[in-house]
Amino acid sequence: MDFLTQNQNFVVLGVTLILWLGVFLYMLSLDKKLKNIEKE
Amino acid sequence: MDKFLKYGLFLWLTAVICFAIAAPIPAVGSMGERARILYFHVPTAWVSTVAFVMALVYGAQYIRKRDILYDYKAAASAALGLIFAVLATVTGAIWAKFEWGAFWNWDPRQTSIFVLILVYGAYFALRSAVESEEQRAKLSSVYSILAGITVPFFVFIFPRIVDSLHPDPIVNSSGKVKMDTNMLIVFLSSLAGFTGLYAWMLNLRIRIAKLNLKESR
Repeated sequence: MDFLTQNQNFVVLGVTLILWLGVFLYMLSLDKKLKNIEKE
Repeated sequence: MDKFLKYGLFLWLTAVICFAIAAPIPAVGSMGERARILYFHVPTAWVSTVAFVMALVYGAQYIRKRDILYDYKAAASAALGLIFAVLATVTGAIWAKFEWGAFWNWDPRQTSIFVLILVYGAYFALRSAVESEEQRAKLSSVYSILAGITVPFFVFIFPRIVDSLHPDPIVNSSGKVKMDTNMLIVFLSSLAGFTGLYAWMLNLRIRIAKLNLKESR
């Protein structure tokens, strides 16, 4: 716990990276779905 | 978009996030760690400006070529611009709470982005109010051109001619870039990354519009 309170930047970094990963995976899956529909 | 570009963008923005949040930064006035907002707030505002200008370009292309796809492209770009403008407003308001003591101060920059959000909100109100596809495309293309012309005024001119508490723009009134070199590298990388993200989002929205168009014909 002490590490986290003293290194709050790393908590922010972790949360931001998770958010970014979520956005990226969502866009990637949307891209794949579109590609499949375009092929039909 | 090419697979290589997509994964490249992921790695690029991941590196930007890591450097932006974890790398040490020099003292910037009295801001301390709060100066890191620069890496996210300015790129979102930049992307909204690019998106609004692209909506103008697509609107003008519709007027010239009368191809309905350009109208869809203009709407897609304006929608992304609106989302990024809201993101810039929210991140700026959170920063203002800690730096200025209140979320909203009607600072010239806050006022100008608020007006821009209203202008583009009205664009979508106009689009939803007209049923005929052709009529909607004509009206909203003309509107996107007129709205696009106001963007440079609200983003670059108005905040510079009125006294503001907002930190100096990157290229300030003296015409020089005053920023630590390491910060500048991360900042420019962030600008490039966000612009790439906008390009991908626009590409997805245009492809969806094309499929809708194909289905309706």
